Amino acid sequence: MTRQVHRTEYVVRCLFERVGDASFVGHLDLMHTFDRAVRRAEMPIMYTQGYNPRPMMVFALPLGVGIDTLGDYVDISLSRLVDAEEFMKKVNPNLPSGVRLYGGINIDEPKNSLMSVVTTAMYRIKAPGIRDPLMRLFEKEEIKVEKRSKGKTVETDIRPLLLSGAQKMSSDPDICELYVCAGSVKNLRPDVLLSALCRHEEYDEELAQNAVITRLALFGGEYPRLLDIKGLL
Amino acid sequence: MDQVKISRRDLMSVESPGRYVGGEFGSVIKENVIKQLEETGSCREVRCAFCFPDVYEIGMSNLAMQILYKCLNDMEECWCERVFSPWVDMDAVMRKNNIELYSMESKSPLKDFDIVAVTLGYEMCYTNVLQILDLGRIPFRSKDRKENDPIVMCGGPCAYNIEPMADFFDVAMMGEGEELIVEVTKIVKRYKDNGKKDRMELLRELSALEGVYVPCLYEPVYDNGRYKGLKKLDECAPDKIRKRIIKDLDKVPYPTRPVIPNIRIIHDRACLEIFRGCIRGCRFCQAGFIYRPVREKSPDTLCRQGIEIEHNTGYDELGILSLSSSDYTGLKELTDGLLDAFEGRHTSLSLPSLRIDNFALDLMEKVSKTRKSGLTFAPEAGTQRLRDVINKGICEDDIMRSLRLAFSGGWSTVKLYFMLGLPTETMEDVKGIADLAYKIERLYFDVCREQGIKARKPEITVSTSMYIPKPFTPFQWERQNTKEEFLEKQSYLRSLIKSRNIKYIWHDVETSLWESVLARGDRRLCDVIEEGYRKGCFYDAWDDHFKYDVWMETLHEHGLTWEMFARGFDVDDEHLPWEHIDVGVNMSFFRKEREKAYNEQITPPCREKCSGCGAQCFKAGECYAPK
Ligand code: SF4
Ligand code: SF4
Repeated sequence: MTRQVHRTEYVVRCLFERVGDASFVGHLDLMHTFDRAVRRAEMPIMYTQGYNPRPMMVFALPLGVGIDTLGDYVDISLSRLVDAEEFMKKVNPNLPSGVRLYGGINIDEPKNSLMSVVTTAMYRIKAPGIRDPLMRLFEKEEIKVEKRSKGKTVETDIRPLLLSGAQKMSSDPDICELYVCAGSVKNLRPDVLLSALCRHEEYDEELAQNAVITRLALFGGEYPRLLDIKGLL
Repeated sequence: MDQVKISRRDLMSVESPGRYVGGEFGSVIKENVIKQLEETGSCREVRCAFCFPDVYEIGMSNLAMQILYKCLNDMEECWCERVFSPWVDMDAVMRKNNIELYSMESKSPLKDFDIVAVTLGYEMCYTNVLQILDLGRIPFRSKDRKENDPIVMCGGPCAYNIEPMADFFDVAMMGEGEELIVEVTKIVKRYKDNGKKDRMELLRELSALEGVYVPCLYEPVYDNGRYKGLKKLDECAPDKIRKRIIKDLDKVPYPTRPVIPNIRIIHDRACLEIFRGCIRGCRFCQAGFIYRPVREKSPDTLCRQGIEIEHNTGYDELGILSLSSSDYTGLKELTDGLLDAFEGRHTSLSLPSLRIDNFALDLMEKVSKTRKSGLTFAPEAGTQRLRDVINKGICEDDIMRSLRLAFSGGWSTVKLYFMLGLPTETMEDVKGIADLAYKIERLYFDVCREQGIKARKPEITVSTSMYIPKPFTPFQWERQNTKEEFLEKQSYLRSLIKSRNIKYIWHDVETSLWESVLARGDRRLCDVIEEGYRKGCFYDAWDDHFKYDVWMETLHEHGLTWEMFARGFDVDDEHLPWEHIDVGVNMSFFRKEREKAYNEQITPPCREKCSGCGAQCFKAGECYAPK
């Protein structure tokens, strides 16, 4: 997706983390939370034109309820130059507990929207004995899951969406870190992955539901040649 | 410090888990108290749990909660936290897994608090109060609580007739709470300092404060099923409890740094309360009497607070709140000032309860983001005769004049609110509702023709609710319409409204029938409410969860009937269950107003002429303004 009109030269691209209780807030609510925090910080956020002006804020990838993140991205358009450091210093005290911006940079409005450059996510999943059964999924040819769409249940194969385990596998059997497809084209939600785990590896449902899921990082590019999103403008 | 833990799985299994986690911007965490609790298991400060007996999204929209949260947390000797009713799904999870109700801030179990304060905004939340006590492991009845149990208090409009819930509360606070709740907390602090020795003595001490009603110091007397008033059980108990008001609203703390929810709530906006009370005195309206006298805040204070709150919250909407905002004397100055200040900031004003006139239409054009939203009128009754009976100072000409303006300005959506079952109502009055709607429809097409505007399909909505006689109104003695009468009126109106341009919305009759029992009930209902709750009734305010049959059955099991409460009271020789409460307005005034209603005579608004209702006893506000 490319933009039609160039609106501003002043975009702040920030990483953010969201952990703990704040993770139980839905994606839409999180967007409102950011909007209000930026307004409280008196940062000159831009608004879309038209009947119902919306603050110009783009998130890299929706974040599911209950999922922590340590490395998500947001682009915020401003009407004048504010140094990214300054921006974060002002906004951070205005965010609710558990949410924090870091590693921001100033960029010109990117040609490619932040949403369109994301291809890959790295997750850490923590639950008793989850590492080995999760890794065994990578040995399978296909991994069928049930998906409900338009009232019908269809079977889909999520194997192609699983990329690999982390280069350095955790020595803790309760922790598994892995790369999966993410973004607007191909996306694997961690809860779908966990339900596949229960189905195909007979992993305990209750343990799966209590698993702590953390999105560690987002990348662009094509696996295994992953690219830092900061540079994808 | 004990903390309630909820597993991820449990949180993820319920709708909107964000309701249960806290951590909002603006919520108050008192680290010094936490430190003491962690080190010693107790603290010197008074811990207050402010409870809202409904879901988070409704509770967080409640201004009273934000005001009192601030007042209490401004006190060094107190930490106030928030508690909400868990929704039905979470309620089930908590019961199944034996999880106690906890506070949003520190996640402490409710029973660890010194004060549990509940705000009662509507009668249908009563069973949720029991849910809160139940999940919080606090004994239901005041008499069963021990020295170390929390002091359970209530306030809010329903506290004025707390009799149906009297056994469940240790203390009921009458009127505006900003000062009173601080005084009460200070006394509880002393009780705590002294090692919580004598609970009864504490309650006696509290009862000496003006505005405090301690139900257990009294006992109701009945004669043949008729209520005969309260008997004092303790010499120190006051005969009458007078409500409290804030004399000067400019001087009272206002929450310009409220708690900002992380999830969308019902009214997701900043609020600015511009005055209290109402000059009008519509005879069915409890708010119009219990909040007397009218006290305005100055436009200066309001402008300052409005700007502050917009900056502090980041909300893009500021709601201007009062019972009837058009009656605010500084409205133009205030809205001009705020619109000026918000220029270029993408902040809009919203003014619910604005009477539609030239000024209002102009303002609506200026302030609202989505232009030409619906116009709202509340004539309440269909004929001028009945409007005179209820003292609704709005006449057909006014409505038509305003609508002519609005239609010329391009508006085409109109909502009209009415009540069925008002005293003296006949079928002629019901028909008047339909007549008015038709006249408005005709007016729309007339205006379009006259002005050469291309007519669209106008949307006229008629909505009726059931009239419920409320304490502290001239109609407090009246009989309520029966189910059959209500249904007959609804179906008659339905049969009269045939136009495609007019939509009729009616409401469930049964909820109103039960609400009226609660509104004018007495202590005999305590057992009924507890038993209904035990049978599974809660969230009665939500139609899907309201169980009419269970309530009627439970009433009967206790030897009571709907008629006993709905029949009303004899004006001259019967006791009212709320007669020991003094809201400032005299019973004799209510009697006079009732008589005038039957004579179809109107009473002018306070600002035009003082009618000597009694509220001048507070020595404040409109009663002392030059007329
Ligand atoms: S205008 Fe009438 S109905 Fe409205 S608040 Fe005032 S007294 Fe009540
Ligand atoms: S005393 Fe007079 S001015 Fe004051 S509230 Fe009553 S009627 Fe209104």
